[in-house]
Amino acid sequence: MNGSGVSGFARIGPALPLGLAYLAFFVAPLFMLLAVSFFADDRLTVVGLDNWRKFLFDAFHWKVVADTLLLGLKAVFATVLLGLPLALVWRGASPFWQRVLLFVAVMPLLTSVVVRTFAWIVILGREGVVNQLVLGLGLSPEPLRLLQTEFGLVVSLTQIEMPLLLLPLLSVMARFDPNLLDASASLGASPWRTLFRVVVPLVAPGLAAGALLVFASATTAFISQSVIGGGRLVYLPALVWQQAMINANWPFAAVVAIVLLVSVSAVIAVIAYAGRVAGGHAHGTAA
Amino acid sequence: MSFTIGRRAALMGAAALGVARPALAAGSVTAAIYPGAWEEAFREHVAPVLKRQHGIDLEMQGLFAVDQVAKFAASRGAPPFDCFVLDPGPRITAIERGQFERFDANRLANKAQLPDGMADEWGVATGAQVVGIAYNPKKLPRPTGWDDLLKDPWVSKLGLTGFGTTFGTVSLIELAKAFGGSETNVEPVFTELKKVLGKIAAVGAPAAMPGLFQQGQCDIMYTNTQTVTTLKDRGVDIEFVAPRTGAVSFITTLHIAKGSPAVDNAYKYIDAAISQPVQKALSEAPYFFVPVNKGVALNASLPMRSLDEMSRFVTHDWAKINPLRAGWIDRFNREMAK
Repeated sequence: MNGSGVSGFARIGPALPLGLAYLAFFVAPLFMLLAVSFFADDRLTVVGLDNWRKFLFDAFHWKVVADTLLLGLKAVFATVLLGLPLALVWRGASPFWQRVLLFVAVMPLLTSVVVRTFAWIVILGREGVVNQLVLGLGLSPEPLRLLQTEFGLVVSLTQIEMPLLLLPLLSVMARFDPNLLDASASLGASPWRTLFRVVVPLVAPGLAAGALLVFASATTAFISQSVIGGGRLVYLPALVWQQAMINANWPFAAVVAIVLLVSVSAVIAVIAYAGRVAGGHAHGTAA
Repeated sequence: MSFTIGRRAALMGAAALGVARPALAAGSVTAAIYPGAWEEAFREHVAPVLKRQHGIDLEMQGLFAVDQVAKFAASRGAPPFDCFVLDPGPRITAIERGQFERFDANRLANKAQLPDGMADEWGVATGAQVVGIAYNPKKLPRPTGWDDLLKDPWVSKLGLTGFGTTFGTVSLIELAKAFGGSETNVEPVFTELKKVLGKIAAVGAPAAMPGLFQQGQCDIMYTNTQTVTTLKDRGVDIEFVAPRTGAVSFITTLHIAKGSPAVDNAYKYIDAAISQPVQKALSEAPYFFVPVNKGVALNASLPMRSLDEMSRFVTHDWAKINPLRAGWIDRFNREMAK
């Protein structure tokens, strides 16, 4: 289709309903959020930077920001570590097994995140499946502490967020030309060299898209963070909830929400950029 | 004044991007209600009674306490609902902000059925919470007081929650009292918790506590009788203990919103909610609310035989707690954070 003869409206017309809804229900509230953050008191009567000051000049809050972003990065690392091999297996499988694997990968999305989170209590709990196995095999004299640790949280987030990595990754994998692997092998590259020099760069855009979905979802996973992580692991979403819903301090909640939005967006921008660079590099060499 | 308009617009939008309230039908009342169990319980048991006896339709808006106060504040002059349902803390905030109509309990046909102290000039109780210690009798000896929570063998099986809920706040206040603190001084809790923090089994989100208990992650916690009865009903080994200093009680109250155009209907709604058949239904499975009607037999697991005994339970002054609570919540985050 040649777009040059079509008027501007016809080109953006189809996107208009969604665009307007986005303006009304996302962009406008975002500006309201920003406005609320510049009130100094919880009844929104005095304008001031007090709540920004309260957040920015407190090391505890910065630790919470760092912990939140690190949690996201750990979840991305773990999902990629487990998801990439699975995607490679999927690529080499027969159409029947591809369908089966795809179904298994997407299945978690069909249950609510609340259900998936509570299921992890049953798995990681003191008397849970894992600990029964550990005790049964005599690997430890007493139950391991898995719930309410960052490790347990990352493990459960890896499962909970895995579909978000796999879906974009598999769609890129599906378009992958298998001849490239043979070409790489015939030119003398080892399987590992092929993986890192051919496969990874080619699937980089899908990997990056999946990674940023996982990152955004893991850093804002309020339910999983509070239920699996517990009260001793403090992340930004829990702070927003406490300030907005319990303390009724909307300006401070707005500050925390904006910090969450900005810091998560910043990391996402880096991931997206890395994906583009890696992808561009691959296309450059493959061309 | 552009400033006022801007502020109001911001408030309105932030509080309620929801749909505007529909024009009031002749026979209807709009009640704010806690989402979840409360909403289900009232839909199942209060709405049909109101319709049958008075031909009034009950519209419900699922809102937490803080949301109700905020949403009302955002819609000056045109209350978004006719009735509030609130816990003691937000109730005080709403009174301070002038959000209630004066309440006349004499307009309730069921007034005589209410235990003492359940109605005042601002509203009336619709349910009570009794808070104490819950433990697993198969795994732990019976604790006798709040201080036992931080001693062996209980402390290594203890599940804690912070000041985020009413029951959590009053429990931590009682724990503070056991170590020399008071209603306005919870410092001893932080000092004592610090000593045993490494031993504590779980510091959980309030909503996660029943699940953690059920899975054996913790075998002792502070909670309300409703949670204990619900878990027991599912076959969990759990017993409620009133600490030797007394169980804590507080009430959840109904109030009429200032400027409500349906005050008569609001009274009828409140009257239905406290009536014997409704209170009896709400006190049974799966809700297990603590009733506020003398005509309802109490569940065997409750630490009292009659509702009048509740007047001897420990209560708290939320006018004093409210201003301190945000600081306590913040402090709890910092002290507990790894």
